[in-house]
Amino acid sequence: MLRIYQRLWQVNWAEQWQYRANLVMYLLYWLVSPVVYLAVWTAIASQQGSVNGLTANDFVTYYMTLLIVDQLTSEITIFVAGYRIQDGTLSNELIRPIHPILTNILMYNLAFKALTLMALLPVWLVLGLLFRPDFSSVTLVNVLIALPVIGLGFAISFLFGAALTCVAFWTTRAWALHEFYSALVVLFSGQFVPLTLMPPPIQAVAQYLPFQLFKYIPIQIILGRLDAPAILASYLGGLVWLALAVGLFRAVWSAGVKRYSAVGA
Amino acid sequence: MHVLRLLSVFLKVNVQMSLAYRADTVINLLLNLMWLGWELLSLSIIFNNTATLGGWGPGELIALLGVFRLINTLMAALIWPNTERFNASVRDGSLDYVLLQPVPSLFQVSFARITVWRVWDLGLAVILIVAGVSQSGQTATPLNTVNFLILAGSGAVVIYSLWVVLIALTFWFTKFDNNVTILQALLDTGRYPATVYPAWLRLIITFVVPIALATTVPLQALRGELTAAQVALFVAVAGASLLVALQVWKYGVRRYNGASS
Repeated sequence: MLRIYQRLWQVNWAEQWQYRANLVMYLLYWLVSPVVYLAVWTAIASQQGSVNGLTANDFVTYYMTLLIVDQLTSEITIFVAGYRIQDGTLSNELIRPIHPILTNILMYNLAFKALTLMALLPVWLVLGLLFRPDFSSVTLVNVLIALPVIGLGFAISFLFGAALTCVAFWTTRAWALHEFYSALVVLFSGQFVPLTLMPPPIQAVAQYLPFQLFKYIPIQIILGRLDAPAILASYLGGLVWLALAVGLFRAVWSAGVKRYSAVGA
Repeated sequence: MHVLRLLSVFLKVNVQMSLAYRADTVINLLLNLMWLGWELLSLSIIFNNTATLGGWGPGELIALLGVFRLINTLMAALIWPNTERFNASVRDGSLDYVLLQPVPSLFQVSFARITVWRVWDLGLAVILIVAGVSQSGQTATPLNTVNFLILAGSGAVVIYSLWVVLIALTFWFTKFDNNVTILQALLDTGRYPATVYPAWLRLIITFVVPIALATTVPLQALRGELTAAQVALFVAVAGASLLVALQVWKYGVRRYNGASS
């Protein structure tokens, strides 16, 4: 099994390496909105000293960390597998004796992540020079504690994304649903602002949703702004959500594959 | 007249195409409303924490959101779909047919695809602008309103010119598929007044990819912050950039030698 993953990694890496120029463009596209939020909130914070206890530097470090965490936990399954279901090319992968989503598509996601991170690094350093974040609250221990949460966040977001993509087995297209889902992520993950600045009802709901594991919680852990009980709670919550996500994906997949009619092929 | 008749034909064809996907259109409208809700919520979050952003109040940011959505509609209804079609036509050589027809090639390249349902966005944008201006408590004088309209138009012309230059580059670099990504990427900066951004970003969105010219500047005119000379300058810039773009297009077409033959 490990050999399969290794081989698929090499294939996907080589395939995407060809399109590295596209990748840089994608990165640029994805980068702008966090930088805009960063600029807006630091402008507000430096104008009045602090916002709800957060200083300008708190915002700079939050968004600079978000740039990396978001890259680590995000997934692009629908943009790969969605097309393959739509035009029927998934059929080729279904006849292989391995699960297409949990092997090939997963490796595609990881190779994409590795490449974008490589491209992000220089950009991130330039942004660091421009915004001069003070990362003194970050310790190695914090980062290490955050890593499992990032792993959980990616696993959950990957399984959710895959389950959403599988809706295309019934409807051929799942884009609208995916857009709705991404709005939920924007709302409840802390992408726009640290969740503490969101309206109280949204904060209350976000507590019970997994989306904060994608961004807000890992960022807060890295920046040393979360205490031990809260970290423990997020670990446990993450495990519960992971179990739910696995169940959801397995159910949708096994029902969906039976419905699959390979429209385009 | 000729051109107007062609435009109405393009529109008819596109309406027919979109009628084939009625359910899609309804879903798109709903999603569009959802994002509008999110945009308004994000503004309310900002103004829960501050009284002004870059010197602008909530009403003015709502109006700016309206202007932003005007430009966004221009992009989503015309520029993106036509770019996609144009890039494909350079790659497979079908641009030949466009060039052979007795219609200005740029006209056809710019207007052949129209995402019809986006027209609805124009209505929403106007509502946002009117609501925002009236909420900000400023009675926009007729002069300011006229300036606003002129500058919104000339800002759109500047962005259109930049687009023409970007897609014309495809004639020199055939594999330049990402020609408009830079435009797409920086568009989001138009949501907020350029005055909140750090200097380097402000320079980029004013001079390199002039999103601010089409969003912040018109609204400044509506607030009565611009002198007549400044308005004239912006209009002149728009005129000049359009002329440059047309020249670049002309040279580009001359260089084009077809991919199929």
